[in-house]
Amino acid sequence: MSFDMIIQLEDLTRHYEMGGVQIKALDGVDIEINRGEYLSIVGPSGSGKTTLFNLVGGLDRPTRGKVYIDGVDISQLDAYELAWLRCRKIGYIFQTFNLIPVLTALENVSLPTVFAGVPRDEGLEKAQKLLTSVGLGERVHHRPGELSAGQQQRVAIARAMANDPAIILADEPTGNLDLNTGMEIIDLLHGLNRTRGMTLIAATHDLKMITASDRVVWMRDGAIEKIERG
Amino acid sequence: MAEHGSPGRVSFGLGDALRLGYDYIKKRRDRALINISSIALGIAFLSTLLFTDSFYRAFIAAGGAHLSIESYQYWLMFVALIVSVVGITNAVLIAVYERYREIGTLKCIGAMDRHILLLFLVESLIQGGIGGILGFFLGIIGALISTGGTTGFDIILKVPATEILILFLGSTFLSIFLSVIATIYPARHAAKLNPVEALRYEL
Ligand SMILES: Nc1ncnc2c1ncn2[C@@H]1O[C@H](COP(=O)(O)OP(=O)(O)O)[C@@H](O)[C@H]1O
Ligand SMILES: [Mg+2]
Repeated sequence: MSFDMIIQLEDLTRHYEMGGVQIKALDGVDIEINRGEYLSIVGPSGSGKTTLFNLVGGLDRPTRGKVYIDGVDISQLDAYELAWLRCRKIGYIFQTFNLIPVLTALENVSLPTVFAGVPRDEGLEKAQKLLTSVGLGERVHHRPGELSAGQQQRVAIARAMANDPAIILADEPTGNLDLNTGMEIIDLLHGLNRTRGMTLIAATHDLKMITASDRVVWMRDGAIEKIERG
Repeated sequence: MAEHGSPGRVSFGLGDALRLGYDYIKKRRDRALINISSIALGIAFLSTLLFTDSFYRAFIAAGGAHLSIESYQYWLMFVALIVSVVGITNAVLIAVYERYREIGTLKCIGAMDRHILLLFLVESLIQGGIGGILGFFLGIIGALISTGGTTGFDIILKVPATEILILFLGSTFLSIFLSVIATIYPARHAAKLNPVEALRYEL
């Protein structure tokens, strides 16, 4: 296995059974993703992007095939190791932001550090720094409901960065944003990918969002249609 | 900074759960108030009866006429406590549905099943504690209102302080216990949620 490879997917497959009908949400995906790479995943709604993210992120188990992260087959991890993977190695960003509404921006961003066992003061300090770095240094005590959609997504990005993950999985991060705000979010993610060397995997169905990526994976009906260099 | 290679342990202790649980209660006051009132009313019923009994005994000891509680009143109390428990279970189940996405999100940032369970139980513990204390004092007022006319309102001064303390601790612990019992089923349901389904859930 190459030294630079951080994620390897082998015949990754996820089928759903719905009323006796088999849905091939993901059907035999093979790909190798390099450390520090910015990979865009493009495909129409229902093409399997979210299913792929869930499997790579250790949130779901495949029907068939393997996910290797840093050479480790994640299906072999126990509950503790899986939680650790989600907590420390992977940062998740969602279309719907998924911030905790009762917590302030600062508390939202520091929450992953709680699970990582970081002392509280240190976690809050880190959260403050991250929020400043995404341009929200003045808004740390606002709750999600008091922030615009673009600002909420920035908070979510800061939260995803809280434990310095090696991998960021962003599932349609601009799906609920207007074009300009969406571009800003993509620029922000791209900047983090370049300056911190995190591997960034972003799903989108908007072709304007893929220009900066190293590679573009085109998906259709649960399979990779083609892979292009950016 | 982060040690990516070493498989460490995620952590979420009682202190973390208390802090987060407290935030939830503070910021979702309406839901918490329903639970607190529900348990407070059940405990108030209990406390009224127990104090009525104490007052009667103090009254008799002071040479007053013989008074006693009817057994059906204890049955009513029992029913009131059951109604509280069912009410809380219902309210917490609704809270779990409201918080599906949050539970999914917490699991994405490292929460394990047991951490979600702990969070819900701690919230229930806080609510049970507050409800128990409220119910205890409501019960004193209730007992004074119902017996004061016969025994005199100063009867409470004739009840030994240790007896009051025991009643206070007993009703508070019972309240916490019942509140936690009522929460176990919905909290286990929340804890076992699959993160993918929890995140897909639309309210
Ligand atoms: N829990 C599920 N049960 C049944 N079918 C599902 C489930 N999740 C996803 N699917 C189906 O799998 C396919 C891929 O979905 P998804 O990965 O969400 O696509 P995308 O994110 O590209 O829009 C779709 O046909 C979808 O309806
Ligand atoms: Mg999707």
